[in-house]
Amino acid sequence: MNLTLPRFFWSEYRKRRKKGALITFALFWGTLSTLLLMAFGQGMSIQFQVAFSGLGETLIMVSGGQTSLEFEGLPKGRPNFLYPEDIDYLKDRIPEILRIAPESYGYFQVSAKGKEINRTVHGTTAEFAVMRTQVPQMGGRFLNADDVAEGRKVAFLGWKVASDLFGAADPVGNQIVINRIPFTVIGVLKKKIQDSMYQGPDADQIYLSFHAYRQIDNRRRLDRIHIQPREAGQSMLIEERVRTLLGRKYRFEPSDRYALGFWNTIENNKEGLAVFKGIEIFLGIIGVLTLLIGAVGVTNLMYAVAKERTKEIGIKLAIGARRRVIVQQFILETMFVFAKGTFWGFITAFNIVHLIRLAPINYDSFGIEAYLLRPVFSLQIFIAYMIILGALVFLSGIFPAWRASRLNPIESLRYE
Amino acid sequence: MIKLQGIKKIYLMGTQSLEALRGVSLKIGKGEFISIMGPSGSGKSTLMNIIGCLDTPTAGEYVLDGDKVAGLSFDRLAAVRNRKIGFVFQNFNLLPYATAWENVELPLLFDGKSARKRKERVIELLNAVGLYDWRSHRPSELSGGQQQRIALARALANDPPILLADEPTGNLDSKSGEEIMDVLTELWKEGRTIVMVTHNDHISARSQRIIRLFDGQVI
Repeated sequence: MNLTLPRFFWSEYRKRRKKGALITFALFWGTLSTLLLMAFGQGMSIQFQVAFSGLGETLIMVSGGQTSLEFEGLPKGRPNFLYPEDIDYLKDRIPEILRIAPESYGYFQVSAKGKEINRTVHGTTAEFAVMRTQVPQMGGRFLNADDVAEGRKVAFLGWKVASDLFGAADPVGNQIVINRIPFTVIGVLKKKIQDSMYQGPDADQIYLSFHAYRQIDNRRRLDRIHIQPREAGQSMLIEERVRTLLGRKYRFEPSDRYALGFWNTIENNKEGLAVFKGIEIFLGIIGVLTLLIGAVGVTNLMYAVAKERTKEIGIKLAIGARRRVIVQQFILETMFVFAKGTFWGFITAFNIVHLIRLAPINYDSFGIEAYLLRPVFSLQIFIAYMIILGALVFLSGIFPAWRASRLNPIESLRYE
Repeated sequence: MIKLQGIKKIYLMGTQSLEALRGVSLKIGKGEFISIMGPSGSGKSTLMNIIGCLDTPTAGEYVLDGDKVAGLSFDRLAAVRNRKIGFVFQNFNLLPYATAWENVELPLLFDGKSARKRKERVIELLNAVGLYDWRSHRPSELSGGQQQRIALARALANDPPILLADEPTGNLDSKSGEEIMDVLTELWKEGRTIVMVTHNDHISARSQRIIRLFDGQVI
């Protein structure tokens, strides 16, 4: 490939690069704002998923309810409760269930090392950890199958509970007392963001093995049953089967929407994701429009540059430059200017995104900053940006270049 | 070398038409030094532009160095201008941001000459016009006479058989003008065909033949 002319164009561009500073700045600004918009849009979308998974991923929560329809001669308004035996009853009859866990909870006085607090205490099984994203901090663990089977008096603490009772000290191995019964702390929940909850954030909860919990709360009924389907797409099917099976067992109409409470996070997540995807697309469109306005500005400036250089083009044509040489020069200059502006825009946006990501998120008062402080620079954004940019580079450069090459050499030479 | 037969050039300006050349016929032999003279609006520049392949005639036949110019594409005409014709303008028409060296190199670059050949030729030309030491200077740093010598060096870059000079001394003081005319005369003596537009009788006296135009016709 003969690089003589491109080298010459580069040399000419370098001599005039100060004149292109405005175009470079326009492109820098366009690139910066577009990439930041796209990064924030995607970051918000991802943070929503992260925050939502703080409660649990692909999770269906079933709770008791009150019938709103008459059924086989029974009146409406009857309360329905869930019981521990419903766990095996459902698991045996619904093969689409991957995991299932019971949960009972109550508000109790908890004490340790002379401190007393009141917190919600839960009784559950080992499966709960995976279903409800209960990840322990280093050096600790969640309840395991043996803890549950043997009814061990062990407790897993939310990180705020641990902090409230033990301060900065490691609570693992220490004892807490709930309802005058001592429990050994086996782990503390790792910090996480959580935007959906019941009974408050997991940071404020205490988890005991199901049988041990029954020693502080002698109610036989469950507050919730947590179900994880084998595949997310089976959630509605499972929901219908649970209604049918428990309807048959507790004698209520399966179509009675109030007989049981359902919190289908999979369906909720779909809706939430759609909203954030919409925001992401909206920000992307704003970004593209910003870039488009920038490109129109660049085209205008390139036209102005072509006009300013009319005489120069005339001279070149007079001494033998072919049209394609003029086109090549303008396109290459546009590319140089684009490359420079977009390179610095990209570098700046990249650094801003990474600087913002260094800002800590306050897990204890989770708010809007958790969405805003985690913008994401992804390959997807980069590819989308380069495609849009490539098209705009071509459009911004080709028309002024084409017009410049069509100039009449005689009129161009007379141009002052 | 140059044969024009019944050349007409009509410019359309809205509904009006302006006949700048009305059937000009002339022959310029190889190695001739011709002056074209005439009052403003007589068609001198139009004729020069057609001879220089910067413009095409509305009617008539133009044969340059044995080749018919009419019907050639824009790029073919560019190639003719690049290899067969050297231009010297009244206002020099140098690229302002380019150095003397780069201005002289430009036609060689457009002709696709190798870097080595370009370098050899630019050194030869800058030495010939006595401005090698000024090679890194931009036009704004050179005197009018020096700029015109650079323009002359550029015109000769591809060793064209024809030199077209449009009022080459018009923007120069008398001393610089004489120097340029000396160079042009020298080039003619070396066998180059020179066609010059001028108003100046003293300058035209250096040429072999004067073609006078009036109202778009040779008189």
